[in-house]
Amino acid sequence: MVIGGITPEAFAFGLFTILTLGGALGVALNRNLVRGAVWLIVSLFGMAGLFVLLSAPFLAAVQVLVYIGAIGILITFAVMLTRSMTNLRERFTNQWWMSAIVAGLFFLFLLLGVVAPVWGSLSPDQAPAIVGTTEQLGVSFVDGNQFVLPFEVVSLLLTAAIIGAIVIARHQEEEE
Amino acid sequence: MDIPSFADLNLGVTLPAVFLALGTTVLLLIDAFLPKERRHLTAWFALAGVLVSFVLTLFNFGSSETALAGMFVADSFTGFMNLVALTAAAITILLSIDYLKRTGNARGEFYSLLLLSTAGAMFMASANDLIVVFVALELLSIPLYIMAAFRLNNAKSEESGMKYFILGAFSSAFLVYGSALIYGATGTTNLQEILASIGGIVEAGSSAIFYLVIGAALIVVGLGFKVAVVPFHMWTPDVYEGAPTPVTAFMSVGAKIGGFAALLRVLVTALPFLVAGQTVEPVWQNTIMIVAALTLIVGNFVAISQSNIKRMLAYSSIAHAGYIMMAVAAAANPFTADFAARSALIYLLAYTFTNLGAFAIALAIEKDDGSGTDIKDFVGLARSKPVLAAAMAVFMFSLTGIPLTAGFTGKWFVFQATMQAGLVPLAVIGVLTSVVSAFYYVRIIVNMYLSDGEGDEAAGATPLVNWAVYISFAGTLLLGVFPILATNLTETVTLLASVAP
Amino acid sequence: MQSLALIAPLIILLPSLGTIINFFWGPKLNERFSSLIGITASASTFVVWLVLFSYLNGNYYQPAIVDLPILDGWIRIPSVGLEIPWQQRIDTLSVTMMGFVTFVGTLIHIYASGYMHGDPRYARFFAYLNMFLAFMLILVSGNNLLMLFVGWEGVGLCSYLLVGFWFDKKHGVGLKNSNAARKAFVANRIGDFGMLMAIFLAFWTFGTLDLYKPTEVTNPHMMEALASGGGHGEEGAAPANGAAEEGGHGEEAPAGEEGAGDHTGSAAQLVSLASDLPIDQEGDHGEAAAEDHGESASEGHAGPVIAYTDNTHLTFSQLGIFAQAERLAQLGEGETLERGDGTTAGRMINFGAFELDIDTVITLITLFMLLGATGKSAQIPLFVWLPDAMAGPTPVSALIHAATMVTAGVYMMVRANSLFHLAEFSSLVVTIIGVLTALSAGYVAMGQFDIKKVLAYSTVSQLGFMVAAVGVGAYGAAMFHMITHAFFKALLFLGSGSVIHGVEHGHHHAHEHKHDDHGHDEHHAETFDPQDMRNMGGLRRKMPITYATYLIGTLALAGLYPFAGFWSKDEILADSWVAAIQDGKFAGFVALGLFVAAALTAFYMWRQIEMVFHGSPRTEAAEQASESVWSMTVPLVILAVLSLLGGFLNIPSGIGLFSFGLQGVFGEHTLSTWLEYSVVHLHVGAFQPLIAIVSLVLAVAAIILANRIYGSNKAINSEGLDPLEANPASRPIFALSNARLYWDEIYGRLFITPFNRTAAFLANVVDMAFLHDYFHDSVITKGFNGIGRLLSHPIDLGIIDGAVNGIGRLTRWISGGLRRTQAGYVRVYAVALLIGVVAVIVFMLLPVLQG
Repeated sequence: MVIGGITPEAFAFGLFTILTLGGALGVALNRNLVRGAVWLIVSLFGMAGLFVLLSAPFLAAVQVLVYIGAIGILITFAVMLTRSMTNLRERFTNQWWMSAIVAGLFFLFLLLGVVAPVWGSLSPDQAPAIVGTTEQLGVSFVDGNQFVLPFEVVSLLLTAAIIGAIVIARHQEEEE
Repeated sequence: MDIPSFADLNLGVTLPAVFLALGTTVLLLIDAFLPKERRHLTAWFALAGVLVSFVLTLFNFGSSETALAGMFVADSFTGFMNLVALTAAAITILLSIDYLKRTGNARGEFYSLLLLSTAGAMFMASANDLIVVFVALELLSIPLYIMAAFRLNNAKSEESGMKYFILGAFSSAFLVYGSALIYGATGTTNLQEILASIGGIVEAGSSAIFYLVIGAALIVVGLGFKVAVVPFHMWTPDVYEGAPTPVTAFMSVGAKIGGFAALLRVLVTALPFLVAGQTVEPVWQNTIMIVAALTLIVGNFVAISQSNIKRMLAYSSIAHAGYIMMAVAAAANPFTADFAARSALIYLLAYTFTNLGAFAIALAIEKDDGSGTDIKDFVGLARSKPVLAAAMAVFMFSLTGIPLTAGFTGKWFVFQATMQAGLVPLAVIGVLTSVVSAFYYVRIIVNMYLSDGEGDEAAGATPLVNWAVYISFAGTLLLGVFPILATNLTETVTLLASVAP
Repeated sequence: MQSLALIAPLIILLPSLGTIINFFWGPKLNERFSSLIGITASASTFVVWLVLFSYLNGNYYQPAIVDLPILDGWIRIPSVGLEIPWQQRIDTLSVTMMGFVTFVGTLIHIYASGYMHGDPRYARFFAYLNMFLAFMLILVSGNNLLMLFVGWEGVGLCSYLLVGFWFDKKHGVGLKNSNAARKAFVANRIGDFGMLMAIFLAFWTFGTLDLYKPTEVTNPHMMEALASGGGHGEEGAAPANGAAEEGGHGEEAPAGEEGAGDHTGSAAQLVSLASDLPIDQEGDHGEAAAEDHGESASEGHAGPVIAYTDNTHLTFSQLGIFAQAERLAQLGEGETLERGDGTTAGRMINFGAFELDIDTVITLITLFMLLGATGKSAQIPLFVWLPDAMAGPTPVSALIHAATMVTAGVYMMVRANSLFHLAEFSSLVVTIIGVLTALSAGYVAMGQFDIKKVLAYSTVSQLGFMVAAVGVGAYGAAMFHMITHAFFKALLFLGSGSVIHGVEHGHHHAHEHKHDDHGHDEHHAETFDPQDMRNMGGLRRKMPITYATYLIGTLALAGLYPFAGFWSKDEILADSWVAAIQDGKFAGFVALGLFVAAALTAFYMWRQIEMVFHGSPRTEAAEQASESVWSMTVPLVILAVLSLLGGFLNIPSGIGLFSFGLQGVFGEHTLSTWLEYSVVHLHVGAFQPLIAIVSLVLAVAAIILANRIYGSNKAINSEGLDPLEANPASRPIFALSNARLYWDEIYGRLFITPFNRTAAFLANVVDMAFLHDYFHDSVITKGFNGIGRLLSHPIDLGIIDGAVNGIGRLTRWISGGLRRTQAGYVRVYAVALLIGVVAVIVFMLLPVLQG
């Protein structure tokens, strides 16, 4: 299906790219830290979409769970905790220039070091076969011969974390 | 997918830890469905769970088997560590019931968290795979973070939990990174398989040894943080001081049990041949030695100038981590590895009884608002509470290492192991610093017995707390007078032999 | 007879029982019952001792090793060969120690029942005393170094508890008492460090901590003598050792302290302890023994049948540490011997990183033992605690800090005589320390005014005599002096307690009297010191029994013939003389410094007699003093008799009629010969008339001098000064002595202050100030600031005004915030953690990079 010469994949790619880059710009340009954090989540979400397009659904899921679910929340949490910072409006200083230059240099380095060597040398049919599927991954977690023990312990870990969340949340509830 | 039979999985040997973990979830439900006026029963259910797990451990004791695709190992080492961890949990429960009530924090979740953390320590003692080491470490730690912040409306407690959490997460990252590097070098996370492939790497002199060494270093760091050795100790006094006292008590023992179990298991089982050049001892021995020496010196000296009992016991616990670290250093020598591991076990047991006892008494004289933890608050305790004071004196003597107390037994074995491994300077530092430690432990006794002043009425010394004191007291003396009770149990502990292909 | 030895555990159990009863039920018991329990427990140990003593006499002085069934394999890990059983060794040395410990202990219990009357913690006191006895008996009867150490620590603990017993005394006295207790504890911990190191080294070297194994022959010389001489009672048996040859004394019948000549060789019951003990049942194994050792008991002899006269049939690992050490030391370069478990041992002992020759190892072990002994037996450099320890109740000073515990170090060194015999350098150090201690403590005792302090320094000085004796190899003389000293020093302490008691009562009496007159004497009551000799004088008439017994104790301590101290001190001096002149030992010459110390002893003791008893009373309190109760005076009398007769335990040969012909009753060298069965290198020396005369002349001269200075009511002049102090010529000498040679001050400067500073430095600077403040302020804040400036300056082209200021403000704000809130430290911790990580990685990588 092609709409106006644009395949759905291309459309999705464009959308996710815009989300990713736009989110990143939002982080860089926003002076309010909380808003910056929200923009970061948008950017990470776009990246997850790109993973889906690359047939890596697991990575996409991890991206959403870990980066958005855990790290994004952690950053927001950290910003909120240091309360005075939520209202702090960063002033534009020389440091910003420095940051921009450092980030730019790093980007250039990545571009030259990682992308350039393989750019154009790979065609879609040369793409490596997908080695593991999400299904296999899931099986290995519950297979007694593979990772059932860590998996179960992690589930206990999550239980502990949930109890912790409840305990801390109730703290505040009782405080009010 | 092949479905392995239960016999293959060998689930039986995992039962003590698994029972406790499952029991925790049941405990949550029990707590939720108990009518409010019966909520106090949760603690007793938790205690029952600990006892059942204890009995299960005894039934499984002395086996030497792996389970769950080699990720879980159940041998005497595991069994002994389990017993120590469960003892610590049981005593902590006794300490917590009334303490939480009188400070207004009696909530059933506490016991679930405590049991989860205990299960974490037990899984660490049985971990035969770096992945399991990591997740078990987290299972041990995360409940501790929450428990540290368990005190309601108490900035110190919240701060304590927060600090512990942030730094703990930071240090866990090192452990994961270290495991990843070792995986990178060997292609496996299983301890035996790591051992098997190290020989080739060392002999071939391939560059993979760099990853191995850095990986080992990072694992030492990650676990070193948990057991609070210098220079990864800074969090200890702040966190110990802020956390509710029963939590501090458990933290000072449980985290060390798990941490040292994993440290010994990983270093001795997987990395004993990680050598450089022509030496027999692995590269990590010198590092552990220096860490042990620093820990002994800093812990013991800084403890002298503390005026808060919880801070003092924090530095004291750092110092004791140093003594156990001596045993780890001794375990680097393949000829003394087993004896050193046994000495560490005995030390941990001795330390568990003594330290929990000391914390129990600190808890007894603590006021409801968390004050009353100054060393001056012990003045005259011998007159107002002679039994508690006598017990505290024995605990202090035991921490100093006076004969006929558990502390001496522990020190004796650890020093023996260190000498046998040829680490004479380290043994000398150990003995000298234990001389130094007399200064701050004896100060408590002087305050209790030899200082004028009104004794504290020890409001926290409820019957349950007294029972905790009696148990610790009995353990301290029994282990001191009849060390054979413990040494017999460690007879079959071998970390090296389990490696033999 | 073996069954007799089996009651040995009771000697520990009974006082433990007394402790438990008095500790837990004491507060509910009345004084009479508490003291009854304590005294019974103590007296029953003495009865057990009597049984053990008769056991040894009936068994040819052959040692028994007694296992306690319930502590079998006290500490045992077979896989590494760690096996430490709970065993008591019953041999002549340990029984000697037990003898005076239980005997003096019992007397002091009786004395304390009167002395402690009215104390609110009366029962607790007896609990501690019983506990002390139990630990002391563990110490002397333990058959391995660990048991010895358990006892060692135990008596230290009791000493600590008892020194601080009166911590609750008012007006700062209590604080002083508890500080004294703490000082004792810490000084002893330093000594314990030495003991622990000695124990570890011994275990590392020998693989066992057992002093002797059950099957071992302790002293081959004596076994040969027994085998050929058919036991005791016969003159002219084979010489026991080299010393015997020189001294020319025959093998004399070792009779008991009780003068037990009632059993003869033929009447003795011959029982073997176990089939593998050296002595067999008569006739049972006679043939086998005769085959093995042709010299063994011939028919017609009624003596014991000796299976083995030495240990050659035993493998290395079947020996205790002493015999092992001797075997190793006899090895040549590169020689090895079979351990008996398939491995071999050689001269070089492997310590992992390095190897040491066995001689070096033994020297190290003995030096560490010496360090332990300097702690417990109050020698230079660790003696400082003992004078302060006099803060405890007087019976404690008498029992623990004069008669028993403080001799533990000497006992240990005598026990380890085999090791000291092998380590000449250590022996020299031992002598030097002993002599220096004897001299300096004797000198300091001259200038003290506190009656107990004088005795305390005197004790330190006398212990110096014993230590010096060990150093020159005069183990028998050291033990002899230990026993006589236990008698007369306990007597003197108890006498001083009686004096203090009397003066205190006198003071109360006088005070009440005055109170009626003036009614405002409170302040005086607080500052009156009943132990200050300046407040005494003329007590001779007030307290006649105390005076008479004290005088006997003084003459004994001063070494006047025929009191006990004369014999024992003379033996030390004579043995040193022999060591110096005949053997040319340097240590022997050093030990001759003891002559001066002996003269000092006589001087300060007579000074004390003059100050306390002679002249006229200097205070109301002394005027009103009265004699103590019978429970206090009876032990004094008993001890006085012993101080008079104790010297006859070991009458030297060649003394002629000067011993009143008492050889007939007590025998010659009785104690030395008796001890020789367990002390291998014991030196039995003959009487040296010259030495005896010189030492007597010195003592008498010192007493006359003291009498000239302090006699005729001149002990304290009208300004409250000592005559030596009043005279400008002797003032510096006195001042230095009175200031105790500034030992405490020197220690304060050298150790205590730096130690406290180090601790504070580590705590404040390294841990808090460095990490929190210095590290944070200097490294993080300044670094941040500096980088900010560095970055901003070149780029600051005037586009944005005040950017630099802004960064500066931001930095200040953040750093201020960090310092204000504790939470900020988390960052510092994290950075420090990171540095630690880098350090660990780099350190571990180093060998890989090098290799």
